[in-house]
Amino acid sequence: MAAPVSIAHTHVHSVRIASGAEALVARVLAAGGTAGFGFTLNLDAGVARDMAAWDALGRSKGVPLFGLLGGSYRKAIKAFKDELPAISPDWTALRKDILDGRHELLRIDPFAWGSVEMVQTIAAVAQAFDLSIALLAPNAHPWEIQYCAALAATLKGEDTRIIVRSGSAFSSIPVSENPGMGIDWSVEPSFSKIQWQS
Amino acid sequence: MTTLSVVAIRLTRVSIPLTMAHAGSMYVIQKTERTVIELLLENGITGLGETWGTPDVYALAQRYARDWLGRDALDRIALREALGKSSYDNRFGRNGLATLAGLDLAAWDATARSLNMSLAELIGGRKRESIDVVSTLPAAILPRAVSRKELTDHLDVLSNTKLVVQFALEQQRKSGFRSFKLKSAAYSPEWDWKLLNELREAMPRARIRFDPNANYGAATATELCRRLDPLGLEFFEDPTGELEGIARLKAAVKTPVATNMWVVRDEHLVPAIRRQAVDVVLGDLFMWGGIDAWRRMARVAHAYGMKPALHSVYETGIATVANLHLASALPEVEYPNDSGLHFLSSDVLTEPQEVRDGAMRLPTGLGLGVTLDRSKLENVTLEGAEIRA
Repeated sequence: MAAPVSIAHTHVHSVRIASGAEALVARVLAAGGTAGFGFTLNLDAGVARDMAAWDALGRSKGVPLFGLLGGSYRKAIKAFKDELPAISPDWTALRKDILDGRHELLRIDPFAWGSVEMVQTIAAVAQAFDLSIALLAPNAHPWEIQYCAALAATLKGEDTRIIVRSGSAFSSIPVSENPGMGIDWSVEPSFSKIQWQS
Repeated sequence: MTTLSVVAIRLTRVSIPLTMAHAGSMYVIQKTERTVIELLLENGITGLGETWGTPDVYALAQRYARDWLGRDALDRIALREALGKSSYDNRFGRNGLATLAGLDLAAWDATARSLNMSLAELIGGRKRESIDVVSTLPAAILPRAVSRKELTDHLDVLSNTKLVVQFALEQQRKSGFRSFKLKSAAYSPEWDWKLLNELREAMPRARIRFDPNANYGAATATELCRRLDPLGLEFFEDPTGELEGIARLKAAVKTPVATNMWVVRDEHLVPAIRRQAVDVVLGDLFMWGGIDAWRRMARVAHAYGMKPALHSVYETGIATVANLHLASALPEVEYPNDSGLHFLSSDVLTEPQEVRDGAMRLPTGLGLGVTLDRSKLENVTLEGAEIRA
């Protein structure tokens, strides 16, 4: 489910980011004219569109993501370097594995699971089963880390964390209080060069 | 960043007569007592909430309200966490959760109004404009709130079942109800069996749920529900007590089994899932402790094959409309909403919330989309308090 926002236009562009990788960047133009943005480095445009819709809604209301989802559990998120594999985005299998007690910490790649709503659903199940969630920023890109931080703020559990594959062993990521996803798009110069259709 | 600072909370305990006596296995009542909550923000916007009207909950609401002054209504999780991080921290049990739910509802309403959204949109999206609702059928049609002895004397006369059938048909004619909940006194399985057969015969296509509030023993309940299976009822609601008893009963019948008594908190969900104890979690917003908790319950229940549905007792228009917003926003909700509003002799809202063709319309304004009628409120007020810094 995408954010409850009336969408006028949605566009997706492919851009080359500084690392040389390709990113998909989505823009959602809300009915009121506010633009929201989303992205993915795994070339699944769905997650980028969903993110952009939530970003547009947050920006149009002047509130960060946690203000739309019900609130926040924390103002900063622990980030760890971790090489363990993320859980395959198979909801049927995950529900069974949780029931069978095969997990303690759910390693979730939110870009693979597709939407804010799906992460919230996994989080509800995790809370019921007294499990925590680690959100994977698969490429340790700043956009990914900021998206994970925006989501992680809304997840219950002392073990809630962001995991990265590279970089420092531990850091603390502040949760942005800027409207929408709170992502700093300027870290990628190619973002400002996108020619969006009017 | 926008902040929605709480500057005052006004609490009004009200008593509203019901239009007739309502009998079940736990009560025979002819009034409902509620606490109406107004949460005032620094930006001048007021959110409406409601919770139980017992003196204990009213006192607790004043205590909790003092803790909320100066906090940000936008961050409802932080408001809830301020009262305790786990159920262990909740020293007031069910009353604590009900109090929290009422304040939480007012915070959600105030937030939605501040963000120019309807409550349904803030919860997840406005997906339905019309929600089917259920009419409660009292266990017996009584002249007034009688004693238990008078009730059982009435139930001993099996021909009295026809009064309940007549009442159901009146409800159907008057407001187009398609769904009914028969409350049971859990006194006479023969009364319940006869009455449900007569209801089915009189309303072949109606959805009928049967609720003895767990006051039949497991053996009696299982025997009765097996006999009722061919009637194709919507579900058996708390036919017997404790999770284990209800799980055994569920395994013995084909009709779905629901509960609003044994799965009422976060920690009840996993045992219910593992035991495959129920088909429907008939969640009460006030027992679950608020909108976020109810929404999480719905997600978990749906994830493991149970259906979430909205329970209600005799609530004012505020909580009734809140339940409509939840049903509209959450695609997991498929069953009609419980509702007792049409049995209240008056409401506290300006806008009449009517049942037409068995359904209620979702109000169109911001937040809950309703306004408090101060004159109506004063007419039913028992006591009031304003908590302000």
